[in-house]
Amino acid sequence: MCESVQVMKCCPETPVEISWSERKLFLVGNPNVGKSVLFNALTGAYTTVSNYPGTSVEISRGECELHGVRYEVLDTPGMYSLLPITEEERVARDILLQERPDVVLHVIDARNIERMLPMTLQLIESGLPLILVINIMDEAERLGLKFDLPLLEEKLGIPVVGAAVRRKRGLKEIRAAIVGFDPQQRAAFSYAADLERDISRVASCLTGAYAIDPRALSLLLLQRDESLSEMVRKVEGDNYAAVEGAVNEIVFERRVDLHLRISLERKRICKGVLEGAFSQSEEQSPSWGDRLSALTMNPWTGFPLLLAVLYFGLYQFVGHFGAGTIVDFLEGHLFGAYINPWVIALSDKYLTWPWLYELMVGEYGIITLGVRYAVAIVLPIVGTFFIAFSMIEDSGYFPRLAMLVDRIFKRIGLNGRAVIPIVLGFGCDTMATIVTRTLETRRERVIATLLLALAIPCSAQLGVILGLLSAAPGALLVWSLCLLGIFLLIGFLSARLVPGERPMFYMEIPPLRMPQPRNVLVKTLTRMQWYFMEIFPLFIIASVLLVVGKLTGVLAWLVSLLEPVMHLLGLPSEVAAAFIFGFFRRDFGAAGLYDLQTNGLLNPVQLTVAAVTLTLFVPCVAQFLVMKKERGWRTSVGIFVIVTLLAFTVGFGLNRLLLLTGILA
Amino acid sequence: MICGFCRKEIPAKTPEQGCGRCGGGCRKVHCPYCGYENPLPSPLFEKLLGQKGKKKQE
Repeated sequence: MCESVQVMKCCPETPVEISWSERKLFLVGNPNVGKSVLFNALTGAYTTVSNYPGTSVEISRGECELHGVRYEVLDTPGMYSLLPITEEERVARDILLQERPDVVLHVIDARNIERMLPMTLQLIESGLPLILVINIMDEAERLGLKFDLPLLEEKLGIPVVGAAVRRKRGLKEIRAAIVGFDPQQRAAFSYAADLERDISRVASCLTGAYAIDPRALSLLLLQRDESLSEMVRKVEGDNYAAVEGAVNEIVFERRVDLHLRISLERKRICKGVLEGAFSQSEEQSPSWGDRLSALTMNPWTGFPLLLAVLYFGLYQFVGHFGAGTIVDFLEGHLFGAYINPWVIALSDKYLTWPWLYELMVGEYGIITLGVRYAVAIVLPIVGTFFIAFSMIEDSGYFPRLAMLVDRIFKRIGLNGRAVIPIVLGFGCDTMATIVTRTLETRRERVIATLLLALAIPCSAQLGVILGLLSAAPGALLVWSLCLLGIFLLIGFLSARLVPGERPMFYMEIPPLRMPQPRNVLVKTLTRMQWYFMEIFPLFIIASVLLVVGKLTGVLAWLVSLLEPVMHLLGLPSEVAAAFIFGFFRRDFGAAGLYDLQTNGLLNPVQLTVAAVTLTLFVPCVAQFLVMKKERGWRTSVGIFVIVTLLAFTVGFGLNRLLLLTGILA
Repeated sequence: MICGFCRKEIPAKTPEQGCGRCGGGCRKVHCPYCGYENPLPSPLFEKLLGQKGKKKQE
């Protein structure tokens, strides 16, 4: 078959004439829905894999013959929506819009039809010649899901085929649907009246000829699809100003919730489409996962569950087991009883230069302090933290936490999306500060950076402090309440003082599942390996600097500078060293506090005040440098000053309060 | 690679973004959909646990 069509390229000056001798059959859909299996089933062994021109994205092409008609079959990269985010999605979208397919097979996972149908709607809206393949039907039926495919076909206005291509089920029907495909057939869906009005307003401004329906194009323009905007600019020429004006006006009017509205409208339409065409067997009551999922997001049950996760995951596992049992064994037994005495005895014999002796096994020696802190204190704590973190992460709990805290976070100028940097901050505040760039507005980014620098302890600091405070009844509760109170208070004040927009938050919630041991193990070991490789040299360098500081008198001078502040906080002057350590790295400072406590230098009140002040105290050097890189000098220095003043003010106030009330006495 | 937060598939060639503080390059991959920071699996552990070469489930 030979035909010739006009295809609008992405950035064309004029339409390009392309001719081909066979029909084009494209496969699209989310990753991991069975596209490649279907591609192989249709094309057999004769396939080629090559980079899509001008990109590094690989595309599989093959051929098949159906009822005497040859088809070029193309397996597009996985995509979640017609609005591209990754290069793969952009390529998949460009292929669909530029190469004018004769048939598009949209492959979806029957088990997740509610989540995947919105993209079917987008493809139908675009005017693409679509066949819907509902794959993995066997698994869906096992889960008690039932589909009325003829009704679904009627409602969508396109052919719908149920399949389990891995088991070769439905292949005959898919081939028959391709052969008998009628591209004229498709349904139209309406959004809410106000949205329809906006869509029509943009669509009426479009005068060029496009490979995509003007309504779908208008929706993508309203969602700020930059590559399509560029294409429209070239096609429209002088008329583009009118299109841009209409888009800008609507986007400004709906700046708070445009994406959310479109998403919710599509969900509503999908719900209507699936009504009567999709059901779950009555014998199949919601799974425990579904029930638990709902409980984690309900404020009445979600917060108690969050406390349970914190209690068992952090307090018991990291605080007691990691910072208690394992550190006691490694630090107290292995290093205290064997390694340190042996190294010191060797050094007594062979290291005759006092400075070298001090450098290796002195008070701040490389082995007695640097290696001991890194291996015996920080690593086991971070290791147990990463196990707990990876388990929670793999279960799918974090997105639910984002939904749960969304309302509270809105009060502090953030929204549920900020859960990502805040949660990551409990791993490492420096990287979390970088992740704040994913927040939508500058206002959110500044507030999140401030809260990370102030009230979010990193994993090692958190672990050491949990371990330390677990021993003093009530101390951990006071520390937790202080941190939570400061987090909320400063967030609340920042939300009122920092100007800017307040964007909406919405996200698709992935299924809750049992953590998979292999995933947990790989992620934990990987995180531990990289963490150790990163901290070990830094701890050694910090030891060397401290020894140099001690030998030159600089350390004593710095400690003397901080001494009056320590006395104001009711702390012994030795704690000043932990604060100086803390500026090198947060975990180094916390480990210093651990040493002071094990040497019996702090009573419960002093321990709590020191832990609160050290947690709130200035971010470490790396975090400060990243803050400067991300937010600029002015903001980062401002945050530094605020955090330092707040840390000491809160420490001073807490000391007075605890002494006055006799709590923890 | 599947994102640990949103469970969307991160394309294999997603550029790694890092703060530049780690010697030998960044070992984190940021999900392009939600921004979550995922650890780049260590080849050693992947190999030990038999994940490398495991057929992609489709």
